[in-house]
Amino acid sequence: MTPNLRAGARRRPSPVRVALLTLLFAVMTVPVYLLLVNSFKSQQDIQNSPFSLPFARISLDHLAAAVQSPQYNVLQSYGFTLLLVVAVDVLCILFAGPAAYVIARSLKRRTQFLLLFFLAGTFIPASALIVPLIYVLRAIGLGNTVTGLILHDVAMTLPVSIFLFVGFIRTVPRDIDHAAAIDGAGRLRTYWQVIFPLTRPAVITVLILNSIGIWNDFISPQILLSPGSGTYTVTTAIYAGISQYSTDLTKVFPNLLLAVAPVIIFFVYMQRHIISGLTVGALKG
Amino acid sequence: MVGLAGLSADSVRVAARSPEPDRGTPGRRRRRLREAALSAGMLAPAVVVYTVMTVVPVVVALYLSLTDWNGFSSADFVGLANYARLFDDPDTTRAAVVTVIVALFGSVGMLGLGLVYALQLKERNWANSFFRTLAYYPHVISSLILGFLWSAILGTNGAINNTLADLGLGPVGFLFDENLAVITLVGVIVWAGFGFNVVLFVAGLQTVPRELVEAAQIDGASRRQINRRIVIPMIAPVVTVAMVLNLVGLIKVYDIVVSLTDGGPAGATETIAYVILTRSFAGTDVGFATAQAVGLMVASAALSVVVTALRNRQDRAAAS
Repeated sequence: MTPNLRAGARRRPSPVRVALLTLLFAVMTVPVYLLLVNSFKSQQDIQNSPFSLPFARISLDHLAAAVQSPQYNVLQSYGFTLLLVVAVDVLCILFAGPAAYVIARSLKRRTQFLLLFFLAGTFIPASALIVPLIYVLRAIGLGNTVTGLILHDVAMTLPVSIFLFVGFIRTVPRDIDHAAAIDGAGRLRTYWQVIFPLTRPAVITVLILNSIGIWNDFISPQILLSPGSGTYTVTTAIYAGISQYSTDLTKVFPNLLLAVAPVIIFFVYMQRHIISGLTVGALKG
Repeated sequence: MVGLAGLSADSVRVAARSPEPDRGTPGRRRRRLREAALSAGMLAPAVVVYTVMTVVPVVVALYLSLTDWNGFSSADFVGLANYARLFDDPDTTRAAVVTVIVALFGSVGMLGLGLVYALQLKERNWANSFFRTLAYYPHVISSLILGFLWSAILGTNGAINNTLADLGLGPVGFLFDENLAVITLVGVIVWAGFGFNVVLFVAGLQTVPRELVEAAQIDGASRRQINRRIVIPMIAPVVTVAMVLNLVGLIKVYDIVVSLTDGGPAGATETIAYVILTRSFAGTDVGFATAQAVGLMVASAALSVVVTALRNRQDRAAAS
């Protein structure tokens, strides 16, 4: 790097750069700003002056009403969504890890074929799969159950997870497996006690990819759990609530804020990991 | 990413060359058999769940798409009638056109903005990393929620139209004018997704050797010439991958349509995924819905095959 050349280019930001970045800032922050300020205003204030923040009249009532709303309660749905995320994450790691290990270490053609078999799953859009899946779940007695939803979500996360794990495990020298075998460890033990800890970066990537995907998923819970079940995820609660009260903005904004807040907090806290994790996921998956 | 690069390729090659443990004695053979059973056991949970939840439904879809089943009474085998209907049905045709428009213009918009901003934000410094994060954040929020938020901003009573009304300007039918609604849908999708392309392109740009750019600078090339002649050609493979990823992602757009426009006005923003789930299936036209679903799977698979082919070509180019 030649510092003087670069520094010269940096010192005076071009007007184009300033304009582009100002525009970016405005376009990306205005929706969040509107979400934030309008969550604390009355319907009249939201309509008459959407951009203002009338300090004298702001109130926590609408947010409190959303928190306490007995129907489609977004705050309550955090719990179920979190349970779903944790269950799917745990099962995915338990299932994908050992399978990926066997695939990564096998020299047999038919085991390698399994990787393609799983990868084919990334071709299938959830919206196309979910209609026939309902009948499959009904046939095996899991129709309209949380178990059925979890198993479907696990199946959706397996292809990319296995692919990322296989890629990562292949970078771990086989000598390590051999050393573990000489010490008397079986394959399963070798995987969980020796290889799994070494694949930590891949595990973190998979956990981030899956958690964001499951938390934000709308199609699967909406269609696999009937509204009558009374079990809502954040997205299905928002859908049920907002399609009912779409004209009452004092319900729309606070509910959206409650739905977005945990994701934004998680993102700000973890953004470095999330961005690199999702980039790896996209470039490899 | 650092972790992935941490283990060198050399160690893998060494590992591959290391001799296999010798086999033959009866004890070893029994042990190998046990290991094979264990391997099968380690594969089994993933294979079983994936097969029952993904492969079986695809087979069921193929079967159902050949019937006139409505979800309740008995189903009659109707051959390829549902597939013939795909091409006759005006709703399906319109939804296919909307889907292609969304995928094409959405992809082009995300690539263009992605490239423009990646070139601005490629240097590693605090400000650029802030702007990259700012461009990227919608990617982690559910599209359903983003759609509801934008619909509250762009609706007739939304923030934008209320502000326009204060200025004495008439309401703009962002979501209520048939043509404008499609443009709005594409706009919101680009807004939500271009940041992801920015991040991909920045990762690509950071691999462009500095010496090359500096040599061109010394030779008197302008910034624009350097970008056009050196930088963009060098990240062309990443651009190709991003383009097809955008396309594959966009042909199944559903959530954002539901929350932003709910397919309206008058069906102008219905995509294929929307029609499958909200119209054919909910309208108890299961046979036809699954035929549409099979069509979407085929389109998605075809695009994905293109991704894989492009990526393989890119890997070979990188390896040579």
